[in-house]
Amino acid sequence: MKRRSILSLLGAAPALLAGSKLEAAQKKSKHSNAGQSMGAGDKIVGLNPRGTPPAIQLIPMAPRLKTLDGKTVYLISDGFPGADVFLNEVKIWFAKHMPSVKTIYRLKAGGFAADDPKLNAEVKANGNAVIMAIGH
Amino acid sequence: MVTIAFHDLAETNAASRGVPDLRIVFTPHPVWGKTPEEMYAYLVGDDPVTHKPLMPEVISALTKPLTEDEKKTGSVTPPVGPPTYAGAPDELQKYYMDNGMTDFMPIVIPTEEKVAAMLKGTSHSPDEHVGDLTPARGAFPPWAFNVHQVAVNAVMAGATPDYFPTILALAASGQSALFSSTNSLVYAAVINGPIRNKLNMNFGIGTMGPFSQPNATIGRAWGLLSKNLCNGGLPGQTYEGSQGNVINYSNLIIPENEEASPWDPLHVEKGFKKEENVISLFFGFGIQQAQGGWGLGIKPVPHYQEAMVCNCVPFATIFGAFVVADPLVANGLVELGFKKKSDLAAWLQKNATDTVGHLKSCLFSRPPMGPAAAGLTDESVVPKWQRPDAFSFVVAGGETNPYHQIANMSYRMSVSIDKWA
Repeated sequence: MKRRSILSLLGAAPALLAGSKLEAAQKKSKHSNAGQSMGAGDKIVGLNPRGTPPAIQLIPMAPRLKTLDGKTVYLISDGFPGADVFLNEVKIWFAKHMPSVKTIYRLKAGGFAADDPKLNAEVKANGNAVIMAIGH
Repeated sequence: MVTIAFHDLAETNAASRGVPDLRIVFTPHPVWGKTPEEMYAYLVGDDPVTHKPLMPEVISALTKPLTEDEKKTGSVTPPVGPPTYAGAPDELQKYYMDNGMTDFMPIVIPTEEKVAAMLKGTSHSPDEHVGDLTPARGAFPPWAFNVHQVAVNAVMAGATPDYFPTILALAASGQSALFSSTNSLVYAAVINGPIRNKLNMNFGIGTMGPFSQPNATIGRAWGLLSKNLCNGGLPGQTYEGSQGNVINYSNLIIPENEEASPWDPLHVEKGFKKEENVISLFFGFGIQQAQGGWGLGIKPVPHYQEAMVCNCVPFATIFGAFVVADPLVANGLVELGFKKKSDLAAWLQKNATDTVGHLKSCLFSRPPMGPAAAGLTDESVVPKWQRPDAFSFVVAGGETNPYHQIANMSYRMSVSIDKWA
């Protein structure tokens, strides 16, 4: 798994991911267990303020195509400003460099994070691949 | 394809949704405001992360066989670190700060003793589920939390146990005070009921400033729990506000000055009894002082309503207009004939107008749609908001002068504090 994926999955600040000197010191310390440091010299024990994340179900990615020749690629915008114009340029790029690829532009319904089951069904029925544009 | 400004966000989000190796190709940023030619130049340039030609990267992402990692199934639970941290006080301050658990100001170290004392502020069990939070609902899976986890954050903020039910009510609202958007959005919490006096909250001089422990620490606790209970507030990953907002330090905590107000308090407007303790949340772009508005120099009673029009017309209609009026202003408005808040809302809805052409040019406002747009031209003058309930009012302040502040914010919800006592 790539490092970026690990970082992201951990869902925490880079400093935590890298491990702090304090944490490393705790591991070496005889006082490393929860609560056992209380009252030991000038050390105190602080509690973890974090909530409880849900388990993340890993979703295997769809098998890749051997080639895009003759395939239909959906170009999907999530609606942020400029994505429609940008994807039109992607369409132009395909027409110029890979003319056998058919491209279809669609605007995803709903807010940026909302699912669009109708569009998903259309892509499954008629498309071979999707390029989604996110940003503005 | 994601613009490079959202690199960390895209990777964090993909991972949190179960596709940690999602194939993402990055483009330069922004696309908004660029010409088609400039965007095409992006496509024939390089991916700013890999420094390889961009479109071949796209083709490769669609055609290169999957790796074993990319085919993985099962589940992963993100680690949240050990249950406790041991060290000298200064070491712990640094540890909490370095690991994104503070607002970068010193905290009260949440020892077991301090958290146990905080828990005495509520009758609810430490293990009781309070709610869930996400940095942006729909974008990130929500994290769950219980009374104990909220108490840890309340201690860190410097709150005392008697503030705890109010903090629990804020947490139970499910609204992150650090909502992730490229807009630097903020929340306000209006507090109503006898608890304002019980906690000695400041609803007089300087009510929205740093002049009261309950006002300050209740708001700060909301910010800290919005970070820690849902992995929020990590710039680039779970917080995207381009410029940020100083209000996020402690949020707008506004105990209403019910005693000096001529109007019904906000929670009564929302259907609660006067003796109930309630928080009411507002959400939007922020707040500004209104002294530059029209009509404030008129004597003997300034025309506050004209200043409100003057100041709210530039607002975006995606949110409403939320007025925080000093009692002197509220009482002056009564003298001007606005006997109830609803009278003022109706007047403002009618008089806060703009042209259709202006509204069309706005980013977060829009002109009337559908049948209401029939016969309108760009020169037509129309109410900026279509409904009076876009306007909200609360009375707060110490009567040192008849001033008001006005926020481009909308009412979201009211939550009982008493439920968490």
